[in-house]
Amino acid sequence: MRTLLGPLALAAGVVLLAGPADAQGPIRIGASLSLTGTYAEPGTYQSEGYKLCERDLNAKGGLLGRKVEMVVYDDQSQPATGVRLYEKLITEDKVDAVMGPYSSAISEAVANVTEKYKKVMVAPLAATTSIFKKGRKYAFMVISPAEVYLEGLVDIAAKRKLKTIAIINEDTLFPKASAQGTEELAKKAGLQVVFKEAYPKGNQDFSGLLIKLKAANPDVLAAATYFDDAVALARQMKELDVTPRMTAVTVGGDLPKFQELLKQTAEGIYGASQWEGALPYPGAKEFFDTYTKEFKHEPSYHSAAGYAGCILYAEGVKKAGSLEADRVRDALLALKTRTMFGDYQVDKDGFQVAHKMVLLQWQEGKRVVVWPDDLANGKPRFPR
Amino acid sequence: MNVVVTPAMVGQVILSGILSGALYALVALGLSLIFGVMRVINIAHGPLLMLGAYVTYFLHSQLGINPFLTVPLSMAALFVVGLALQRALVFRVVGAPELSSLLLTFGISIALVNLVQLAFTSNLRTVEYLTGSWIIGGLALSKPRFIAFLFAAGVTALAFAFLKFTRLGKAIRATSQSREVALVCGINVARIHLLTFGLASALAASGGALLAVIVAIQPEMGSVWTFKSFLVIVLGGAGNYPGALLGGLLLGLIEQLASLFLTTQLSEVVAYVLLVLVLLVRPTGLLGGRSA
Repeated sequence: MRTLLGPLALAAGVVLLAGPADAQGPIRIGASLSLTGTYAEPGTYQSEGYKLCERDLNAKGGLLGRKVEMVVYDDQSQPATGVRLYEKLITEDKVDAVMGPYSSAISEAVANVTEKYKKVMVAPLAATTSIFKKGRKYAFMVISPAEVYLEGLVDIAAKRKLKTIAIINEDTLFPKASAQGTEELAKKAGLQVVFKEAYPKGNQDFSGLLIKLKAANPDVLAAATYFDDAVALARQMKELDVTPRMTAVTVGGDLPKFQELLKQTAEGIYGASQWEGALPYPGAKEFFDTYTKEFKHEPSYHSAAGYAGCILYAEGVKKAGSLEADRVRDALLALKTRTMFGDYQVDKDGFQVAHKMVLLQWQEGKRVVVWPDDLANGKPRFPR
Repeated sequence: MNVVVTPAMVGQVILSGILSGALYALVALGLSLIFGVMRVINIAHGPLLMLGAYVTYFLHSQLGINPFLTVPLSMAALFVVGLALQRALVFRVVGAPELSSLLLTFGISIALVNLVQLAFTSNLRTVEYLTGSWIIGGLALSKPRFIAFLFAAGVTALAFAFLKFTRLGKAIRATSQSREVALVCGINVARIHLLTFGLASALAASGGALLAVIVAIQPEMGSVWTFKSFLVIVLGGAGNYPGALLGGLLLGLIEQLASLFLTTQLSEVVAYVLLVLVLLVRPTGLLGGRSA
């Protein structure tokens, strides 16, 4: 008996220590992300943001005293696949909570699922206004909407007394919304829209479009794009000598790879960014450094938005003191804060009203923030 | 937005249409060969093109080889891949109902795209080699697209010469006309099938290699090319090899002219409307069906 007492006591001690803390198991947060397919680049950045959030939350003791565990599937950049996966996460895997996927298109599709099961979903990479204006109660927006992506471009153009603008877009949800918003902003600022056209997804030859655009001779070109079309467009503009005084692309121009891929052709092009590591937000620099060390490359705004979205959800849960959807929802509706990603405040529809976009320009191979003035670290250059 | 269309603009767009048309023709020729000789509908054609693009990318970025000079290397590599695919899988559906070949090649295409995604990730790659254009008579001639055009024309010409003048080429055309008669004539039909699939893969790869300098390289880049190749061979006549040439150029021109006179969004629609019209009015294609 004596020889057994020691080990028995030890075993009992271990059981006691391990017991209550894990009695309910970890909080499982499910999501589908575009790890492969057309959106793989930004989708992967977002997944890394989620991973880092999971790590940081657990390092600080978890959520409601429990560990956080993210369950992520690959929706292959397909909305239909995302829908299927969220159904699976909620009904089969029975996750405790969900986070949003990449892109407006997929977020819109899966929001139907999360609303059906009354699960709060912070959708950190959904930038389309309409998603949040359909009477949904449990969807929350983190980033600035598509419509204001190129607000900086229009503002700088108006201040510089440029007169005409051309607007082109890929014929899908987010770029369409972005183009529309830019058109409204341009008209309000007194710019004349001299050319407006959409092109199909996967289009690789922009000759016809660019020829017409060149004839219209705009001062400014606002191109609502994704990544691969931004590359093809920039190259063909160079070939056909289409040279507006300012050219901006939406998704693509801000990604670190844009310049790596296009080198000199990227010079002078503006990109819209939801976030830059150099911005004076609390914790932005720490996030930037930790992320770069962990994943061996710099974070993009998709990384930061993913991270912030997850942190904001955790904040909501903490304030509500529970995982219960309606309590978390109320907490998130009332929440007003500034994270490493920027300001957060939503209206009664969960639509983001506080966060600001920045406009950056590629200058000598570097991304320089040129708008708004209080966040800028450089001035826009006008080669022509 | 109404922009006044000038003759110079039309000229520019026609030029672009011809440049892209040549690439369409090159890639579609491979598809036409496979269908003509084996009655196999090769959905994996786009992914084969994509593999060719990756070969060029890696040869250029790792070994510093001039991307245009990688074309024969890319072709050789995919010739072997094509042989392997035919030997292992495709031969099973030759002569089987078209649905079988559709399903098999569809499966192959999914497998290829996913393998590449696993191996190389979906990160966009580019070959930034030649940019800008030459200005000739007021028209801008895109440097990478023009060089690609020259190569495409060259490879297509070689392919046609091969088909017309060499014994093997004649054997391929014979098998295309009639498998049974070819057998009777002593042609090793199984070997011809093998060679044809390899050749077609090589042609797709050459298209990919040339595209590598023009567009962004990623695992899904081939899918739009599979569609367009089908469009081309329906237009020109499935199994009709000169038809692929005509169909390719036609598609390139139609897309760009529609983009100019209507909108770029509609240019895709116009191409498909034309497809439907051709199927209704002349289902064997503009130059007629399988022929030598």
